[in-house]
Amino acid sequence: MSEDLFRLHHTENGHQGQEDADMRRIDASLRLPTIILFSNAIHWLVVAALLSVVLSVKLVFPGFLGGIGFLSYGRLAPTTRDLMLYGWATQASLAAGIWLMTRLCRRPLGGILLNTLIICATVLWNLAVLLGSLAILAGYSTGVEWLEYPNWASAMLFLSFLLIGIWALLLFDRRASGHPEVAQWYLVAGFCSFPWVYGTANLLLTWRPIQASAQGPIQSWFCGALLTLWLLTVSVAALYALLPRILGSRLHRRDLATLGFWMFLLLGSWSGMDRLIGGPVPAWMTSAGVVSGILFVIPVTIIAINLTGILRRGPNRNGFRPVYRFLTMGLFSLLALGVLEAISSIPCISGTLNLTGFSEAKYQLCILGAVSFPLFGVLYEALPGLIGRDCWCKALTNRHYWLAVAGLWLLFGLMILEGFFTGLALIDPTVTFLNITSYSYPFHLLECVAQLVLLAATVTLGINLTVALAGDYLFPKR
Amino acid sequence: MTTSSQNANRMHRLPTLLSGIFLVFLTSWLGLVAYPALQLGALKPFADADSGTTFPPLLGGNAVAGQNVYASEGCVSCHSQQIRQTSVTHSDIERGWGKRPSVARDYLRNRTAFLGSSRLGQDISNVGVRQPDAKWYFMLLYRPSLVCEGSAMPSYSYLFKVRKIQGQRSNEALDLNASDAPAPDSEVLPSADAKNLVAYLLSLRHDYPLPEAPVKKEAAK
Repeated sequence: MSEDLFRLHHTENGHQGQEDADMRRIDASLRLPTIILFSNAIHWLVVAALLSVVLSVKLVFPGFLGGIGFLSYGRLAPTTRDLMLYGWATQASLAAGIWLMTRLCRRPLGGILLNTLIICATVLWNLAVLLGSLAILAGYSTGVEWLEYPNWASAMLFLSFLLIGIWALLLFDRRASGHPEVAQWYLVAGFCSFPWVYGTANLLLTWRPIQASAQGPIQSWFCGALLTLWLLTVSVAALYALLPRILGSRLHRRDLATLGFWMFLLLGSWSGMDRLIGGPVPAWMTSAGVVSGILFVIPVTIIAINLTGILRRGPNRNGFRPVYRFLTMGLFSLLALGVLEAISSIPCISGTLNLTGFSEAKYQLCILGAVSFPLFGVLYEALPGLIGRDCWCKALTNRHYWLAVAGLWLLFGLMILEGFFTGLALIDPTVTFLNITSYSYPFHLLECVAQLVLLAATVTLGINLTVALAGDYLFPKR
Repeated sequence: MTTSSQNANRMHRLPTLLSGIFLVFLTSWLGLVAYPALQLGALKPFADADSGTTFPPLLGGNAVAGQNVYASEGCVSCHSQQIRQTSVTHSDIERGWGKRPSVARDYLRNRTAFLGSSRLGQDISNVGVRQPDAKWYFMLLYRPSLVCEGSAMPSYSYLFKVRKIQGQRSNEALDLNASDAPAPDSEVLPSADAKNLVAYLLSLRHDYPLPEAPVKKEAAK
């Protein structure tokens, strides 16, 4: 049974022998790269959270920090989104993906040379994010949504992803014998998808742009595929890998999981088209977007059924263990996202609510809820093993959890309501646009509060991480 | 072994799993990337026999440069450029944002299709027809509240230069009241970026007829 429930780190009690020695070897092989990836990711998360507060204030007071080129809304907004996508989410997913893959494959990552290569790739990644963000603020944005980094920066990101991600695939091939777990399928799919999706989109939209009449569908495909095929696959892998182990239970419905995996990939890759419902694309693309958006709730439900089945069966509920809480909130966010996606793909609803705060609410639920919470879970689970001691401060962890939950659902709720009211107003031609702007004013005001709560959450996480990593130096034991 | 576990076992070899993933990715790639690139990417301008011009109209040099300013200032963060199909909603047309839905060929002359995903600001796909006065745009960019009280649009005053009036007032200077002018003997002039951006905005129109998107002729009064 050892391949079924191979424990993921060695600080658990009563854990002896070969598995313990394997764990220590695996931890030693990827300690530095994983810590560096996670630390940089959290650093960008804090910066993005701060910029999000500035942006939300600018919506309420357009004159705030106004008249300054590099602080204008149109430059800050893409910078913030790209920091969330590439600085935080992709980088943390790389760290989580590699950590999970080494453990699930029961193979160490490699020696000093490989560690050095991955650290160099990480430096390249963060340099690209930093310089790319500064370039957008200086007025060198490409103007393509979610791909605003200048060509040299996006090429750097592409290259450094290849340098890190290839090892995860090779690990799968060289893994210890046994049935691969569901989590490993999702990780393989995720690591394959980013280069495919990011490379294709950049090639056709920014590096050598094709005729603009064709760009709309490709850009929408990219947005949907980046979220579902890359970010959500790593988060789902984290859920499948960690939840059974924490609860001491086992995934029984493998056939259901197989169906869910293939449906997730197929429907997720078409899911971006709901952004373009009613848009300047052939009608069949719009219909495909509607169908895949509605059906996407099926693989999400399968994942939820599989994992909530474990939650009910598991002998230790561990209700107060932080990692468990982050993972279950991630699962809940994913389920909510699937249901919301299904409802909002219905044409009469998307005709009213697309292009409003409703679309933004879906995006925030995805990135802050379904993607970020499982990544937080992996971070809290991984670091004690990597450092070799129980390093997290329980009070700060608790505070981070509740602030992140409060911030996410407050922001999501406000954006949904804002989208609902502005959408209804937009379809009524007698309501002037200035009136619509004034309707959304109170929501934008409260969204500032939500963004402040999220900033507090990320700063708490940053402090927690700093104390965890440097605690021995900051607070030496006498 | 049951069939389901046999199927699951096939997924434990990397090449098998990769082939399956590749095939699944290929479906959306063919439908949403290759098909648009080959079919929509090959669209040509339409030569209209009635008017003797091609649609979409060619952009002037300033408007082409203006697209880069539109991109770098991130206008797409707040403004969309798509009048949606009437099968989904009539509201875009009823609101006066355009006479007909936008189609792929409308973006032919652009370097980037700025479709947009958010309407914090108005849709501007036909703004060149709705507001043909360049001076209005300069005022809007300099200080939106001058022409649009209550607007959430930020000021782009950094796209303008303030200089002392030398001799006669420049005819490019903004017509500002004394209370709005930066100083009594100064004038506000648009920079090259501002002029190019306004030229681009004035070129925005999706109101010409195309075979796939005819424009209903309004009944003669």
